[in-house]
Amino acid sequence: MEFRDFSLLIRDTKVHGFVDGLERGELLASKCSSCGAIQYPPRSDCSHCFGTEFEWVAVRGVGTLVSFTSVFVTPEHFTPDFSGSAPFSTYGYQPAPVGIVEMEGGLRVMGWIPGVKAESLRVGMRLAPRPEVLPDGRVTVVLAKAEG
Amino acid sequence: MGHVAVVGIGQSRFGIRSDASLRELAFEAVKACLEDVGVQLAEVESMVVSVASDELSFALQPSAQVTDYIGFHPKPSFRVEAACASGSMAVRAGWMNVASGLADLVLVVGAEKMTEVPTPIATEVLGRAGDSLWEYPFGMTFPGYYALIAQAHMAKYGTTEAQLAAVAVKNHYYGALNPYAHMRKEITLEKALSSFVVASPLKLYDCCLISDGAAAILLASEKVAKRLRKNPIWLRGLGLGTGSLSLAHREDLTTLGASVEAARQAYDMAGVGPKEIDVAVVHDCFTIAEIVAYEDLGFCPKGEGGPLVEDRQTYIGGRIPVNVDGGLKSKGHPIGTTGVSMAVEITKQLRGEAETGRQVPNAEIGLSHNVGGNGQHAAVHVFGRDKE
Repeated sequence: MEFRDFSLLIRDTKVHGFVDGLERGELLASKCSSCGAIQYPPRSDCSHCFGTEFEWVAVRGVGTLVSFTSVFVTPEHFTPDFSGSAPFSTYGYQPAPVGIVEMEGGLRVMGWIPGVKAESLRVGMRLAPRPEVLPDGRVTVVLAKAEG
Repeated sequence: MGHVAVVGIGQSRFGIRSDASLRELAFEAVKACLEDVGVQLAEVESMVVSVASDELSFALQPSAQVTDYIGFHPKPSFRVEAACASGSMAVRAGWMNVASGLADLVLVVGAEKMTEVPTPIATEVLGRAGDSLWEYPFGMTFPGYYALIAQAHMAKYGTTEAQLAAVAVKNHYYGALNPYAHMRKEITLEKALSSFVVASPLKLYDCCLISDGAAAILLASEKVAKRLRKNPIWLRGLGLGTGSLSLAHREDLTTLGASVEAARQAYDMAGVGPKEIDVAVVHDCFTIAEIVAYEDLGFCPKGEGGPLVEDRQTYIGGRIPVNVDGGLKSKGHPIGTTGVSMAVEITKQLRGEAETGRQVPNAEIGLSHNVGGNGQHAAVHVFGRDKE
């Protein structure tokens, strides 16, 4: 599926199931089958016990914004007139802010925060990480205002 | 283990050096270094080269350009890499070469040519020093990563944009006095605060420069050092720490764990603490990085880095003078060169040979702090006039 090109690089890893999850609307972390450590971004090999078996667990719920920025001076692949092939969606969220939220249990997730200006954000705000289909058909992770 | 001394120092002028190639810049530094101590290249037994980026130099083994151009072959030489801390890795590898007894006289060279590619490409290459798989796809850049650190520090400790700007004002003040600096120009707080936003809350004057330049030091064993110099400067403590690739993997964004670990090792080895440091150069790739470094190195309690610079305590005459060579901010930051250039500066300060207006009086113990990426590596080195 086209949706798999959130990142061609991630598709070529042992955790390529992550992009399948995004396609289904699920944000996935890895859980080590040996020691139970849950990690995001997901990893096939456990850095706690060196186990190499893992299962997927969904990251759900609302997190707390730990930090954020809006990048105005962009790298080559994110410049507005970039026309080459990029290994991820270049559909323009920039200069939308990017933030990190901390979930219950301590997992931290990075994502775009589209549709707002950085000035309106505050550390400590409640935001929910979730997959989002971009207008170019690819998938990314966004941090959305918590409902209610 | 034997003692290791810095017996020679040299560096090129930093800047947009479209007049010179990577190898020619390295040659400038090596020539100055050997002349500083009066040693012939034939006497040097081994060499370590730091060039951080193949992408910026358009070459695999750019270090071969350096060893060939200065005419070092067929003697041993190798390259080390840790992004912006590559230079300190070269100093560390040079120290290991001498302390192990493998060689008595070792040349350590850092060189980088960054301005041959357009800024968007340099921004991309540098951004990929972070987690290129999981964080770069969000358009993250180097300023972006440090902006996340800054925002978290401001939220937790009340650090202000004016305090960030105060770092830039100080470093430009001293950079203007350094003939080797890239941007020899003082700036005002107002100018820094009104410059355009690169990655909020960091503005243009919160960011270091993209520079070309080279630096070299000559390291010697105790027996050779005493023959070459009456008062060599001793490399007394070395520390090296590592940290997570992803910023999202850190429990606390307001500190670099790699720096804290490197400082602990270096202070232990040298047998000194932060209060005994007379002069320091720290990795101010962004203004927030200098404030975090004050805290991680123990120059002030956690969260008090902003007030420390605002109260001018890191100027000469203050509690601990920091980056009185202009720092990465004003001297410039040719990434593979910086760690070696830091060793040059601290040696110069401890010899009492810094230029007028930027010499710390009677400095006896100095420290360098060099970060690779956004904290994946950090090296802290302690230098002294006395070997113990």
